[in-house]
Amino acid sequence: MLSYIVRRLLIMVPTLLAISLIIFVIIQLPPGDYFESYMNQLLSQGENVDMRRIEFLRQQYGFDRPMWEQYLVWVWGMVQGDMGYSFEFELPVNEVVGDRLYLTALVSFATIVFTWVVAFPIGLYSAARQYSWGDYTLTFVGFIGLATPNFLLALVLLYIANVTFGTSIGGLMDPEYIDAPWTWGKFVSVLEHLWIPVIVIGTSGTAGMIRRLRANLLDELEKQYVVTARAKGLSPLRVLIKYPFRIAVNFFVADIGSLLPSIISGAAVVEIVLSLPTTGPMLLGALQSQDMYLAGSFLMFLAALTVIGVLVSDLALAMLDPRIRLQGGTTR
Amino acid sequence: MTLERLVGGAVAGFALLAVLAAPWAAGRGAGAGAAAAVMELIEPPVLAAAVDGGKLPPVRERVPETPAVADMSGEGRSIGAHGGTLNILMGRAKDIRMMTVYGYARLVGYDPNLKFVSDILESFEVEGGKVFTFTLRKGHKWSDGAPFTVEDFRYYFEDVVNNKDLSPFGPPPALLVDGEAPRFEILDQRRVRYSWSKSNPAFLPAIAGARPLFLYRPAHYLKQFHARYVDKAALDRKVEAAAKRNWAGLHHRMDRQYRFDNVDLPSLQPWVNTTKPPSDRFVFRRNPYYHRVDPEGRQLPYIDEVIVTIASTSLIPAKTGFGESDLQARYIRFDHYTFLKKGAEERGFNVYLWDRAVGSRVALFPNLNAADPVWRAVLRDVRVRRALSLAINRKAINQILYFGLGRPSADTVLPASPLFRPEYRNAWANYDIEQANALLDAAGLDQRNGDGIRLLPDGRPLQIIVDTAGESTEESDVLELIKKYWKKAGVDLFTKPSQREVFRNRVYAGAAVMSVWTGLENAMATAEMTPAELAPTTQTQLQWPKWGEHYETSQSAGQAPDMGIVQELLDLNRAWRDSDSPEARAEIWHQMLAIRADQVFSIGTVNGVPQPVVATKALKNVPEKGIYNWDPGAYFGIYKPDSFWFTEARRQAAR
Repeated sequence: MLSYIVRRLLIMVPTLLAISLIIFVIIQLPPGDYFESYMNQLLSQGENVDMRRIEFLRQQYGFDRPMWEQYLVWVWGMVQGDMGYSFEFELPVNEVVGDRLYLTALVSFATIVFTWVVAFPIGLYSAARQYSWGDYTLTFVGFIGLATPNFLLALVLLYIANVTFGTSIGGLMDPEYIDAPWTWGKFVSVLEHLWIPVIVIGTSGTAGMIRRLRANLLDELEKQYVVTARAKGLSPLRVLIKYPFRIAVNFFVADIGSLLPSIISGAAVVEIVLSLPTTGPMLLGALQSQDMYLAGSFLMFLAALTVIGVLVSDLALAMLDPRIRLQGGTTR
Repeated sequence: MTLERLVGGAVAGFALLAVLAAPWAAGRGAGAGAAAAVMELIEPPVLAAAVDGGKLPPVRERVPETPAVADMSGEGRSIGAHGGTLNILMGRAKDIRMMTVYGYARLVGYDPNLKFVSDILESFEVEGGKVFTFTLRKGHKWSDGAPFTVEDFRYYFEDVVNNKDLSPFGPPPALLVDGEAPRFEILDQRRVRYSWSKSNPAFLPAIAGARPLFLYRPAHYLKQFHARYVDKAALDRKVEAAAKRNWAGLHHRMDRQYRFDNVDLPSLQPWVNTTKPPSDRFVFRRNPYYHRVDPEGRQLPYIDEVIVTIASTSLIPAKTGFGESDLQARYIRFDHYTFLKKGAEERGFNVYLWDRAVGSRVALFPNLNAADPVWRAVLRDVRVRRALSLAINRKAINQILYFGLGRPSADTVLPASPLFRPEYRNAWANYDIEQANALLDAAGLDQRNGDGIRLLPDGRPLQIIVDTAGESTEESDVLELIKKYWKKAGVDLFTKPSQREVFRNRVYAGAAVMSVWTGLENAMATAEMTPAELAPTTQTQLQWPKWGEHYETSQSAGQAPDMGIVQELLDLNRAWRDSDSPEARAEIWHQMLAIRADQVFSIGTVNGVPQPVVATKALKNVPEKGIYNWDPGAYFGIYKPDSFWFTEARRQAAR
């Protein structure tokens, strides 16, 4: 087991290096650089631009150096925990990301809890009572959640919240609490705003999870050990929870790999529509303005989380599911 | 509402502004000083505690001995009261620089009538357009209480502009006349002088600009980052702590008066930033040492605090419609008007329609530097450009897309500009398909293919691909309509949306045959403003980027203009700079406008499309009619937001 973990950890190094190279190349692919897009942004607002000053800034930030050198500087910095410098914010990336990270984690965590709380009972019920009225109704509701564009739902909920509760439009708290220390009032304000993104982001995830849980359970419910258990007189609920359900949640454990990065990256589209102070809009903005170290370092962070998440889910699966064994090594 | 009535309203609005501005312009200089001598100054209540506690000197000692007295006469303007918080919305953290624009404290600024008046300066003198003498106000102080003196001007000129590390690229363009830097002199404790051997008409507009040329720096603060004034080892430590490459980078980082992103940097603006970035909410507090007062002696600004909340740009119209902004025009477009109007009554705000100063809301730019020789020759034929302009039904575009609230016009100055003449507006701008067809036939484009599309001399169909920056649905709507009209003249149009950088690069390289953007930036021009925009002077001009680059880089890159009439525009631009009488300048402007109108170097569609301005009803002194323009205008700047004030009820509610 230990040697397996060590091997997996060692494989991560070249994986992450390859990812960093791909990220760097892709960010450099669009024509121009940050200063060019900044210049064009100024021009489009009618502001005049002194080209010589732009040239000076390029030198200040090392844009005059060859590409491979910029790459090496960036990677070496990251190894030491320095994520580079954001041109847009004119601050080290660590400082820019810092504040937003925990709010994103809050939104994502609340969304995941919401998804589970809604999806598990419904999935269980739908599978156990397949093709019943209840199954059809709940499935229908789930599909509506999946089919409605998130941003539309977000706008509708924003409107309803503003008209009925007087909640301020967008954001995660009333404006007066931004940057304020945590107080009861701020907490309540966050709760008032939190439910909208949670419902919006949650609905689509919920539908998917219901379907997967239902399908997996149905596979198991047909199996003979279930029939045996029933024949031996176990109560239906106990039969359901004790064996088929445990096997059916395997997919869910396998999902952790993608869950971990999504806690940090959030759901960008909804967050932009709702104007949330989270990382999704920041990443998009960084990519648009070619703020390459902010975008690159953030993507690297997500990549690292994905790689770790996959490892964690693999290990968890091995522990949960006795059918999986590590003795075979990594040969396929 | 009919078009005539609206235009009439706009003209009346300008007349009103002119009336209101007249005493202001007359009252500058000595008058202000005399008034202040007898004036009792009134302490803003929010600062009273600090004054009583001895943390702040009383108002008498904070404002200059001769404060700038704001003019409050005129219809719709009234003397207000201190207090309140103004909430505004911005799209990104960088937008807090708009507070420098709105605050609009300038050495010399435009008044609402676009005349230069001294503001931070007590007075200024110009001799022959070459020698500029500035007199500071006695006792003027920075927002941290340190004196604002001629040393701050010297520091900028000697230690910033003429420092090889800080300005490796030399002085900013506005300080150069044909490459010649000014002679800078300190005459006495309160007077400085900049002089050139030739006239420099760009100097005052640069100082008064929305993004001004800051001729002064808070030297007492910045010296701690300057290699000349501090010990190298100490400076290196600071450079390292700030993760900068060298001390110049650090100095630049700290020294950005325009950007407002350094909370420690002293300022002269009415409100100063107190929130360190990054944040989504910036609190601007009143500058206790601000130099303007109202006629009864209240130190301005009236409003204690401005809170800038950052929200995504797409949500700003919605938030504004729900009353979350007290004063908003940025990120609001004309097509939000009906939505805003709907919320206005319920949420208690007014929606004003201000004029925009662009020459054309959407304009087409035939690329005279197109790389394709056939296209280049066709587009350089004035008959083709005229025909393309004639084949656009501007009236219909106005009705369909702008509810008839705009004005069909060629890309030229607006009626509100003193340089306006109807013939510029109407030149080749009426809808006349027959004449357009006749012109195109005469230009040798008389062969057509089976679809009725004309053929280029080399047999390709006359399909004009218009490059767009791909950001505005408005542009594509207008192009869709133009496509329909051009079809009747046998011209086909395709739209090629791309991304801003790609768009510009395609135009610069001549890959784009035609592009779309807004028309003249400053269509509110007076004869005293530079006509450079009418001639190829910068690469960013979409109809002749290579000629512009040629001029801009002093002939080292790009191409020299090889069209006589374009060279004439350049010569006229040059003549304007060298002329010294207002009449001669106006005459040159008219010659240039006439050439532009006749040659159709840009094809205008509709201008005068209003800009909705949302102002909460509790906010007073916001003009109902105004010009929403970047430069000159500084958006709200020339209407002096420091003189906006809140009604009693609102101030109570805030407490």
